[in-house]
Amino acid sequence: MRIFLAIFLAIPLAAQTEWLTGSLDAGYRRRTGIGGSANTYRSVVDLGTGLRLLGADFTLSDPKKRSFDRLDLQAAGWGGDPWRTLHVNARKSRLYDFTGDYRNIAYFNNLPSFADPLLSRGIVLDEQAFNVHRRLGSFELALLPGHWIVPYLAFDSDADSGAGSTTFAGEGNEFPLPVTIRDSTRNYRGGTRIELRHFHATLEQGGTTYKDDQSIYSNSGIPNYGNNSKPLPGRTLYLDSLLAGWGIRGSSIYSRGLFTASAASWLDLYGQFLYSIPENMVSHQQAATGSLANPTRLIFFTGQQYLLSAESKLPHSSGSIGAEVRPFRRLRILESWLTDRLYSGALSFAQQRLTPASLPQPGSTSTSSLLVTNRNQEETLVFLELTSKLTLHGGYRYVWGDASNSVLPASGLMPTDTGKLRRNGGLGGISFRPTHKLTIGGDAEGASSGSAYFRTSLYDYQRVRGRARYQISGSLNLSANFSLLNNANPSAGSNFEYLAHQESISLAWIPAHRFWNVEGTYTRSTLRSDISYLQPQDLQPAISSYRDNAHTASALIDLRLPSYSGLIPKFSFGGSLFVSSGSRPTTYYQPLAKLFVPLGKNLAWISDWSYYGFGESLYLYEGFHASLVTTGLRFVR
Amino acid sequence: MARAVLILFAASLAAQTYVGSETCGTCHEGIYQAWAKTPHRDVKQACKSCHGTGSRHAESTSAADILNPAKLPPAESDRDCLSCHLNRPTHVGRIQSSHAHNQVACITCHTIHATAVRGPNALNRQCTTCHMDVRAEFQRPYHHRLPEGAVSCVDCHNPHGSFRPGMMRQVAANDVTCFKCHGDKRGPFTFEHAPVRFEGCASCHEPHGSANPRMLTRHEVRLVCLECHANLPATAAPGVVLPSFHDLRSPRYQNCTVCHQKVHGSHVDRNFLR
Repeated sequence: MRIFLAIFLAIPLAAQTEWLTGSLDAGYRRRTGIGGSANTYRSVVDLGTGLRLLGADFTLSDPKKRSFDRLDLQAAGWGGDPWRTLHVNARKSRLYDFTGDYRNIAYFNNLPSFADPLLSRGIVLDEQAFNVHRRLGSFELALLPGHWIVPYLAFDSDADSGAGSTTFAGEGNEFPLPVTIRDSTRNYRGGTRIELRHFHATLEQGGTTYKDDQSIYSNSGIPNYGNNSKPLPGRTLYLDSLLAGWGIRGSSIYSRGLFTASAASWLDLYGQFLYSIPENMVSHQQAATGSLANPTRLIFFTGQQYLLSAESKLPHSSGSIGAEVRPFRRLRILESWLTDRLYSGALSFAQQRLTPASLPQPGSTSTSSLLVTNRNQEETLVFLELTSKLTLHGGYRYVWGDASNSVLPASGLMPTDTGKLRRNGGLGGISFRPTHKLTIGGDAEGASSGSAYFRTSLYDYQRVRGRARYQISGSLNLSANFSLLNNANPSAGSNFEYLAHQESISLAWIPAHRFWNVEGTYTRSTLRSDISYLQPQDLQPAISSYRDNAHTASALIDLRLPSYSGLIPKFSFGGSLFVSSGSRPTTYYQPLAKLFVPLGKNLAWISDWSYYGFGESLYLYEGFHASLVTTGLRFVR
Repeated sequence: MARAVLILFAASLAAQTYVGSETCGTCHEGIYQAWAKTPHRDVKQACKSCHGTGSRHAESTSAADILNPAKLPPAESDRDCLSCHLNRPTHVGRIQSSHAHNQVACITCHTIHATAVRGPNALNRQCTTCHMDVRAEFQRPYHHRLPEGAVSCVDCHNPHGSFRPGMMRQVAANDVTCFKCHGDKRGPFTFEHAPVRFEGCASCHEPHGSANPRMLTRHEVRLVCLECHANLPATAAPGVVLPSFHDLRSPRYQNCTVCHQKVHGSHVDRNFLR
C-alpha cells in the first residue's frame, strides 16, 4: 500500500499536461470488539483493523506515446483486507493491449451449525472448516489490436493455500483433524483472432497444469476419540496418529475455435468447437495408528497403511452453431444447435496392510470407473416486430441427452447408474416500448420432460419473467421485476415440487439543483420445495420441505452539505437489510453512513461507519454484531 | 415522372451532407469531449456512423432532423453497433443469449459517448440496475464477494451471450466458469460425483448468495443429499442408492460431508470418504 501512495505523491502536482488522472483512497479502519461469534463474523464479513489502501483508480496517458498510450490501474483492499484486487490495462494503439488482473481472496468458514456432531457433548467444532487464501491471476497480451490478424498470449493462475479441519473417516469412527490445503492450476493459452468486416475466427490452443498436495498430520500424543462414543464390542476406538498425503499432478491440452460470419445481408452465422482432455495422476499414502476397527469384518487393529495410485482422463468435446436469418425487415428467425459430450474414465490400484501382521490382510484392490454424458439442444426462435414499438417472439426448444456412471467392482452398489434427458419446451415473449421513457417486457418458458437425470432436475416446469422501466421525469426512474419458476417431478417416489418467485422494485431520484438524491431497492422472494424420500434407518416415508421467505432492501440517500470556498461536502447514509423466515430464519443488517469533506481541489477527508448484525433464530450461538469505522484521505488528480 | 422522382431524391441527398464530428461538438461540447476519450474517437465520420449525416440538424438544431439510436427499436439500434462490432469473439453465442431474446440493446449497457464503467463495483451496479433480484441474492450472508468488489458479474457471465445456460462463461475451452477459481473441483477424479458433471454446481449450490452455509440449496447438508440419495428402488433415478443404514437421528450422520468429504469427486475413495 505504501508503494502506491509513494508513487502517487511523488508525481509533481504542477504537471504541464494532465498525464496522470485519478484518485487514491487510503486510511485506517478500526473494528469494535465483535459481539457474539467471532468465527461467524469472520465467515460472513472478515474485515479487520489496520491501515488500508481503500481504493486506487488512475490513468496514465503518455503524451509522447512512448511505451504506452494509456495505462489504467485499479486496486483495492491492500493492507490486510480479506480481498485484495489489482487490475492493470496498458495499451499502445495498434501495437499491443495488455490486461492483468490479480486477486487475493481470503476464505474463512468456521460454522459449528454446519458440521459439528459433537455439539450435544458441548464441543463447538466445525469439522469442515477452512482458513485459506485463494490467489487468482489473469494476464493477456494481444498484439496488433485493430489489425485484421491479432495474435494473443494469456496466462491464468489459481492457487489455494491454507489450513482447515477435516475428518479421517471410516474404520468405525470419524476423527476430526487439522488439514493443510495446497493446490494450484495454471492455464497457458495462445491464439490468433482474424477479424475481417464480414467474418471473424478465433483459433486458440492451450494447456493447464494442476497440483494438489493436501495433507493431514496428527501426532499429538493425545488419543483422538472421534465422533463415535459407543464402544464397538467392548473396545473404545481412538486415533493416536495419522499421516495422510495426496499427491495429484495433472495436465490438460485444449483447442478452441470460434467463428462469426455475415454471410449475406440477411444472414449471420455463429459457431464454435471446443475440445479438452485433462488428465490426473494420483498418489495417495496414509498411515494411522490407534485402536481402530473394520466394523463390517469385525476386525480390530492398531495400525493401518494404505497406498493408492490412480489415473483418470476426461476427454470433453463441445460444439455449437447458430444462424440469424432476416427474410424481411421486421422478421428474424434464430436457429441454434449445440452438443456437449464428456467421458471420464479412471483406473485405481490400492494396497492396504493392517497391524498386527497376523490379522487377515485386505490385500490389494483394483477399481475402474466410467462416467459418460452427452447433452444436446436445438432451438428455433422467431422475432416479429409488429410495430416499431412492439416485438413478439416465440419458439421451440428440444433438449436431449444420455448419461451413465459406473464403478467396478460394484461392491454391493448398483454397478451402473443411467439416465436419460428428454425435454420439449416452448418459449415466448413480448417487448413493448410505447415511449422511449417506458419499456415493458416479459418472457415465458414452459417444458415437459419424458425423462430427466435427477429427481430435482428441471422436469415439468414453467418460467415467467417480467420487467418494466419507467422514466417518470428526467431525474426520477422507476423499475420493477418479477420472476417465477415452478417445477415438478411427479414420478413415483419423488413427488418433487418446487416454486420460487421474486418481486423487485427500485427507485432512483436524482433531482438537479437539489441537495439530496435517493436510490432504493426492495425485493420480496419466496421459495418452497418439497420432495419425498425414505428414511435410511427404518425406510419409512418422509418429506423433505424447504421454505424461504425473504425481504431484502437497500437504500442510499446522498445529501449535499453547505458549500464553502467552492467546495461541497457530502453526507450519505443507508445500507441494506435481509430478513428471512422459513427453514433457516436469518436476519442480516448492514447500515452505513459516509462523509466526504473536500479539503482542497485535490484532497478530501473521507470517513464511513458500517455496522454488521447477523442472527439466526435456530442457531443463536452463531449470531454476531460489529461496527467498523474507517477514516482516511482521498487524493485526486 | 420517374425523372422527377430521381431529381427529388438527388436533391434530398444533396441537402444532407456530413458535417464532421467537430461541428457536432460545437453544440454538444460535453458529449464531444467525453467521446474524444473513448476508442470511438478513432472511427472515421464517427458521429455520422450512428446518427446519420447531420447538415440539416446542424442548420435547424431540431431533434427531428437527426437519428437518435436511443429512440429506435433495439434490433434497429443494434444494427448500427453490429455493423462494426458483429464479427468479434465476444459475439459468438449472442443470438442464444437472454439479452438478445429480451431485446436488450447494446446501448442499454454501453454508453457510447463516455468511457466504460471502471472497476467491478461500477460494473456490478450497472448489471443490478435491471437484475434487482440478483442484487437481493447477494445481500444474503453467504455469497460470492461481489458486493465487496472482489468478484464481478462478468467473471462468470458473458453479457454478450454464451452457448451455456445463463450466459455462463467457459474456461480452458469448455469447462464451466466455476473452475476458473475453484480449480480443485475440476478433476478429472478417479471417482466422479455424477451431478457435478451431469448438471453442474447449481445442483447443490446457489451461486449468487444464500442464507445457508456453503451457499447450499437447503439449510442442512443431509437434506441436499437426500434429494437424490433417497433410498428408493434403484430404478427410480440415478444416484438413488440402496439403503445406507445410517440413522439420521444420530448427530454423527446429520451432516453427510463430515464423512463423505470429497463430495465433488474423489481421487481415492469410491464413497468420497477421502
